[in-house]
Amino acid sequence: MTELEKKAVLFKKIRAFFDAQDLLEVQTPSLLNTPTTDVYIDSIVVATNQAIGLKKQQYLHTSPELEMKKLLAQGSGDIYQICPVFRDNEVGERNFNEFTLLEYYRINFDIHRLMADLSALLHHLGFEDKTVKMSYAQAFSQFTNIDILNTDFESLKRIALTHGLSIEFEWIEDLQMFLFVHLVEPCLKDIPICFIYDYPSEQSALARIEGRIAHRFELYLSGVEVGNGYDELQDSSSYQQVFAHENAKRQQLNKPFFDLDVEFLACLETPLPPCSGVAIGIERLASQLITT
Amino acid sequence: MANYSTSQFKNGMKLMLDGNPCSIVNNEIVKPGKGQAFNRVKFKDLITGKSLIKTFKSGESLEGADVMELDMQYLYNDGSAWNFMDPETFEQYAIDDSAMDDARGYLVEQDMCTVVLWNDNPISVTPPNHVMLEVVDTDPGLKGDTAGTGGKPATMNTGVVVQVPLFISIGEIVKVDTRTNEYAGRS
Repeated sequence: MTELEKKAVLFKKIRAFFDAQDLLEVQTPSLLNTPTTDVYIDSIVVATNQAIGLKKQQYLHTSPELEMKKLLAQGSGDIYQICPVFRDNEVGERNFNEFTLLEYYRINFDIHRLMADLSALLHHLGFEDKTVKMSYAQAFSQFTNIDILNTDFESLKRIALTHGLSIEFEWIEDLQMFLFVHLVEPCLKDIPICFIYDYPSEQSALARIEGRIAHRFELYLSGVEVGNGYDELQDSSSYQQVFAHENAKRQQLNKPFFDLDVEFLACLETPLPPCSGVAIGIERLASQLITT
Repeated sequence: MANYSTSQFKNGMKLMLDGNPCSIVNNEIVKPGKGQAFNRVKFKDLITGKSLIKTFKSGESLEGADVMELDMQYLYNDGSAWNFMDPETFEQYAIDDSAMDDARGYLVEQDMCTVVLWNDNPISVTPPNHVMLEVVDTDPGLKGDTAGTGGKPATMNTGVVVQVPLFISIGEIVKVDTRTNEYAGRS
């Protein structure tokens, strides 16, 4: 099979998996009027309609998340999408300005049910190994002896220093991620399929928080981060809070910050149904499929 | 020396890490889906030869290491140091035994070696891939065994012990692969 054929088969299998469960395949706009506020993801800016005197600054989507959530708020039910996404300032062995995301949402699923469903998808696609599940705190205590949920910023900095690492961080969540990348991720290399779940609340992103924990998970295939899922926030005001917080952080880092996506917030005046969703990097997934 | 930031990191680049000169073996960019970019870098310590992994925030920088690799001819050992000469400048370097590591078992006078200098001081020596050594001790050879099945240990004139075919006897010159410490044929 050529690479082209392999990718075509992969798409067919993904669609068959979701079609069998009655998810609706959707297509949402990729040219947006509002960029992402995510602190460490940069939208690619495009100037449109200049030659016809209607110059406008627009942005390529970095993920179809918000547009899909508008559909969920309008009662679409379970939906999935496979689409190219675009991110500025991402170049590396596994990072590209354009890549393909599979994003899907399941109504009334919590993250554990979604992880089980995703695990079934992986096996449907040809992964054979059993799935390992570990909470973020378990992963830290197992591989590093750090009690990550109960270690404050200053203590974490002292730990980073003992490993000869930088402590130049504005926020504890960035240092948590740094230590995870340095100390935990390399230990995940030997686990073919691994879910890490229940992140510290500081790393909630758009996931529901309960006490010290954000109901969020990541999928690692042989130590490579492939997917990110949430028990989704539901109402407009929660999203507004997160966007404003991200914008404040962008401002502190001297990065551009943006008007909030008022259209999205207005749309969520009718809140999302309880649901969980996940985004999977297709190229990373495919590369793991070929090597296994 | 100049400083180099993570975006300039390249394989083979020589940098100072915790006071030791190191060479970059591999530089991996890791960008968590919800976090800033990091560089997970595998280094080889040029003094100890050990490899180590360190992670940097993208944008951090390290000082370059003043490291040079030179081809030098091995001259002689005077009992306290190993003496080499740069054939282009005829400059001689006396290298301390501690910098020799495994190289000392393969040094043959007049052979060209690669010497790594840090701030003009020799820190490591790499012998040629193949050297000719004389067998000074081994069990007696077995007549008729030329197939080279099995083998036996043989001590070379440099002190290193190499597994050789059974037919090799004391006084013979053999070719040894210095990277694997394996017998590679007769002269």
